[in-house]
Amino acid sequence: MSGPLLRNRWFVGSVGGTFLLLVFSVFVGFVWLPSAQDDSLFKGLLNSICSAAGVPRSWLGEASAPVTSPVKVSEVVMTPTTLDEPSSGGGVGRGATLALRCTMCHGLRGVSTSQTPTLAGQYASSLYKELRDFQSGARASAVMAPLVAELHDQDLRDLSAYYASLPRQQSPATQDLQSAPDIVATGAPMRNIPPCGSCHGRLTAKLGVPWLDPQPRDYLKTQLEAFAHGTRRNDTSAQMRNIARNMTTEEIDASVDYYSGTR
Amino acid sequence: MARAVPADPHDGEAVAKRIENRWALTMVGLVALLVAMVIFTGLHWATMPPSRVETINPSTLHVSGEFVESNLGSAVETDGSVTVRIVGQQYSFTPQCIVVPSRTPVTFRVTSADVIHGMLITGTNINSMVSPGYISTFKTRFEKPGDHLMPCHEFCGTGHEGMWANVKVVEPDAFARLVGPTRRASCDL
Repeated sequence: MSGPLLRNRWFVGSVGGTFLLLVFSVFVGFVWLPSAQDDSLFKGLLNSICSAAGVPRSWLGEASAPVTSPVKVSEVVMTPTTLDEPSSGGGVGRGATLALRCTMCHGLRGVSTSQTPTLAGQYASSLYKELRDFQSGARASAVMAPLVAELHDQDLRDLSAYYASLPRQQSPATQDLQSAPDIVATGAPMRNIPPCGSCHGRLTAKLGVPWLDPQPRDYLKTQLEAFAHGTRRNDTSAQMRNIARNMTTEEIDASVDYYSGTR
Repeated sequence: MARAVPADPHDGEAVAKRIENRWALTMVGLVALLVAMVIFTGLHWATMPPSRVETINPSTLHVSGEFVESNLGSAVETDGSVTVRIVGQQYSFTPQCIVVPSRTPVTFRVTSADVIHGMLITGTNINSMVSPGYISTFKTRFEKPGDHLMPCHEFCGTGHEGMWANVKVVEPDAFARLVGPTRRASCDL
């Protein structure tokens, strides 16, 4: 079988040529082009082959040490499974007991009647993140700091589970997105502002981000302005400050009115 | 097959062979041209032909390491080059305004905290994926001062259209004045 094939010069020429092309292409891709880069990790045969093939390495070389923040920033690590661990004998019931210390401001069943936020039906991930930030000082509050100072991590998880389990209060005005102002439904892409609803619910949600309606108007406005001025900085990697500082006064008012149901 | 055909007054075998030869030469020429183009663009045009694979835990970027908030933006290295660190997340880049000096070697280090994003800088050939779990590293140099936009070019969710940053290229002496005592600079408000 091999005899006649190898005597056929078209076969030998095409297969042999393709093979040579492969060898040459491998040389180009794994040796020649990588070696033309000026990184030291591309120098040398083994280095260039490994680097071009995608072996994970450290590419920075010499660099100055990271600058640490002079102010406290959030150190809460949120993943979709952060709150999944089976609570050791805790959970909603234990959270309800612990929540007795919260009722004075946040309402008997998590529905606030003052300027404090409503917690009933809030995402557990958001509650847990904020509680941890109050505890670490990343989010400053003279009222909340002493109340959470003594709580253990499991306490915070149980509190979050409890408030997340309560029925959410929804104002009729915010039931549908049709009535939402532009800033909530479409944002202002030309000014670097994604829609509020793309993280805070209605459109889509983002892990660790709160559901906003209905919340007291003054509370929402105070927080939005604190983000805009950089006085509140516990949003991970500035994700909310980046947006708030680009918003106009009218946009702040429109979004706050929508999410508060003008309460 | 050809051998089974009786004597051909039109000399078909020789004609076929000539045509086959021409096609073979044309194909070899095309392949050679394409390979030469790959090599030329790889050597002279592309800023990042081979991948520089490096992994990182995307959930702890803000806790420790080089992507903590206070270390983002442009960092001046001891050799005079500039390292720019950027985090992409739904739906913004941090820092939102990046300032770099012209005529200076610049190394970008970009990563994502959540989903797959992308970045390109208008008017340059800088274009990279920004993937969670990986650090995109590439080196470049801006010759002229000017303003560029840096949009996210990979659909990353419902707020994708609002995700972009500004890149300001300034004269080296103007850049030097922006650098603070920590040797970091950004043009965020």
